[in-house]
Order: sequence, then structure tokens, then C-alpha cells
Amino acid sequence: MELLCLEMDTIVRARPDPNLLYDDRVLQRLLTIEERFLPQCSYFKCVQKDIQPFMRRMVATWMLEVCEEQKCEEEVFPLAMNYLDRFLAVVPTRKCNLQLLGAVCMFLASKLKETRPLTAEKLCIYTDNSIRPQELLEWELVVLGKLKWNLAAVTPNDFIEHIVRKLPLPKDKLDLIRKHVQTFIALCATDFTFAMYPPSMIATGSVGAAICGLQLNTTDHSLWGDNLTDLLAKITNTEVDVLKACQEQIERVLMNSLREGRRQQQKQQQQEQGGARNKTLDEQDQSSTPTDVRDINL
Amino acid sequence: MSSFKRILKSLGNGPTRRNLFGPVDREQFAARNTNNALQKDLEEASNRWGFDFVTEKPLEGGDFQWEGVPDVKVPALYRSCMVGDLPRVRGAESTSAAALVMEVSPGPSHNGKENIPCTLERYGDSHWGLEKTPEKRNKLKRKQTNITDFYQAKRRVVATPRKTGQ
Repeated sequence: MELLCLEMDTIVRARPDPNLLYDDRVLQRLLTIEERFLPQCSYFKCVQKDIQPFMRRMVATWMLEVCEEQKCEEEVFPLAMNYLDRFLAVVPTRKCNLQLLGAVCMFLASKLKETRPLTAEKLCIYTDNSIRPQELLEWELVVLGKLKWNLAAVTPNDFIEHIVRKLPLPKDKLDLIRKHVQTFIALCATDFTFAMYPPSMIATGSVGAAICGLQLNTTDHSLWGDNLTDLLAKITNTEVDVLKACQEQIERVLMNSLREGRRQQQKQQQQEQGGARNKTLDEQDQSSTPTDVRDINL
Repeated sequence: MSSFKRILKSLGNGPTRRNLFGPVDREQFAARNTNNALQKDLEEASNRWGFDFVTEKPLEGGDFQWEGVPDVKVPALYRSCMVGDLPRVRGAESTSAAALVMEVSPGPSHNGKENIPCTLERYGDSHWGLEKTPEKRNKLKRKQTNITDFYQAKRRVVATPRKTGQ
């Protein structure tokens, strides 16, 4: 019995495959096909009447929280957002159904990427039971149909290794860099500005932002400011100016989200002082937040 | 590292379990409406492939020439009986874990399995039909399907000109 439990808790993970990661044909192929999976249009202008950009942000934030709480694989959230955007680009949807759509997209992305996917029941609980598993399953088929069953979309995460391995980065910092890049990619997925950007550009911009943010560019000449941008641009065939703009935009979004985080934290602190609540867990959370800011050296 | 993740956490507030936009519009999401949507998709697919997926008969005047292939000639994955016959497909693993799921959620008729639509198998069937049918050129000559057959079939199903990119 105990043995069974242990088996259940082991995540089976494939090792990185050098045949895939160290072959340039794979990168070239990803670059060739990535545009097929972009949403067809900027849908707030041409398709949606009821849904507004801030609502996409709300549902995206919720989806990200669910993915983190459930410890989903990194690419599940960006992939789910890709499904969401592609669906919204073709189907006018009411805002009261947006969360259901978000849940369906996580459901699909999780099934595609994970050995133990999120269950319909769990997702329904996360909507505070405002949807039923049966509805989720019925809409799953509708979404699949609208996406023409093309689920294996290219995500920015697919490019991380291909880019990182071509840069002269200190080995001991690689994990940290990856983590930062993944965080930036997730952040981009919450912001509609990036929805129409090719995944390779988001990945390249995120790598640039991560290296600058961690100030790793002080050690090696080739990683200084413009040198880094040129190098990155070559790897994914992106135009230097466009890449630079993208990286700056990522940094702006990050700054806004940090500012918003601080604002909320202050609000929380005020509330706590007023109510004289004493939760050690909360305090730990707060004391660690400024460390985050220094972590990325903004 | 998890502390860094809190940057993203700060985007949200309150518990993760929450209802964002009020009650779902049940009318739009009622079964008959999703069925309608699926019906439309099915019609589109029928037009595109020149094939009636409900009756599993080719349509007149389509771009494709359809040929029937016996079940035994295609890989197990493509046999339509697999979709309808779910308990058998994953029967081997239906040990205590599956039994547990059944106990926890006795409500919806899930057959102890999650993530399986209960009302729409027909659509699933016909989808597999679509993947299955357009295979084979020389079915009489071969006794056993091999991987190149399968690859050929796949290319014909997709039917869109692909740029190789290199």
C-alpha cells in the first residue's frame, strides 16, 4: 500500500534529449512552424464584444495561480494561454464563460504536457464550483474543434534551451537563468500585448531580460548590452530593433507587476495593522518580497 | 527560487479558488448548444474532406477518393472500437487508483474514468474514422502494416502543401 503511494508521487520525467536540444535543425523547424499557432487576429478589436483586455488578465492570473498551486510543468500555462487566445480569436464569447474557457484550456494543455494531468474535478473546484465537470468536458470538444485539434503548439519555452546553450553563460548560473526566463515567459503570457508575438521572440527577449536583470553581463564582453542583443537576434533570426523593443516591453511589464505587488503588499500591511492580525506565514511572505526585487536588480 | 515566483503571485489577490465573472451562462453552454457547435464543426469537416462522418460514407464530388480498409489492416490505435470501448482500453491499470476516483466522485457517470465526455462519443468515433480511413494503396499485397504505410497515410490526410523550411 505504501509502495503504491510512493509510486503515485513520483513524477516521471524524461531526461533532456541531446538529439533534440543540440541539433540546429530542431530550432530551425520550430522557427518555421511557430507562426502557424498564433491567434488569427487581435480579437478585442474584431471578434469580442463582451470581453475586455483586463478580463483576459484576470483569467490569465487565475490560471497561472492554479498552475503554480498544482505544480504544473512550466509550459502548461503558456500553452493554455495560446489555446485561449486562439479560441477567442475565432469565437465571440461571453465574459461569464471566460473562466470556463480558461479551465478547459488548462485541462487540455495539462493533458498534452504532463504525465499526471489536472483533473476536471480539480479545475471545477478552482472555479469555486461555478462550473461542472460535465460542462468542462463538453466544452473541451468544442475548443478542440475550434483549434482544429492542433494542440502541439510551439511555446516560448520550447526555445529556452536552444538559446541558452549558445550563450557564454556561467554554468553555475544556468538554473537560475532558466528559472528567470520561465518566469518572464509566464508574465508575458498574462499580458495581451505579447499574444501576437512569435514565441521565439518572447523567449529571446526573456533571455535577454533575465541576463540583464541578473547582471550576468558584467563578466563576459559578448554579453554586454548591444553585443548580447546582437547575439540573441542571430540565434532566433529576430530583427535587432524588434528584439530590443520586446525586451524593453518585458522589463516594463515586470516593473508594473512588481509595483502592483508592492501596492498590494502595503494594502495588506495596513489592513493587518488595523485589524491587529498576527499571521506568521503572511509576515514571512512579505519580508521575502523585497528580496525578490533585489534578486532581479531592477 | 519559489520566492521569485511571488512576483507573479502578486498579480492575483485572495485565494486561488474563486469565481471570476459570476455564474456561467448555462444556456450558451447547454449540451444542445455544444452539440450544435460540434455539429457545425462536423459539417465543415465533411465539406473539407468530402466525407460524411456520421454515416461513414464518402460524399459525391469531393476532392478525395475514399477507400474502405478493414480494421485489422490498421494499427490498433486507429480502430474505432477503441474509443467506444473505454474500460477495455485502459483496463489493465484500473487497479486501486481508478477505484478510488470512483469512490470520490460518484455523481457524474464517469465510469470511474475521468475526462471522458459522456454524451459525445459519436463525435469521437467519427473523428477516429477520419484519421483511419484514407490509408492504403496496395492493401492486397501486404499482410502486415509497417511504419512507412502509416507515414504515407498521414501525409495524405493532412493534404496541405507543407514547406519543408530547409
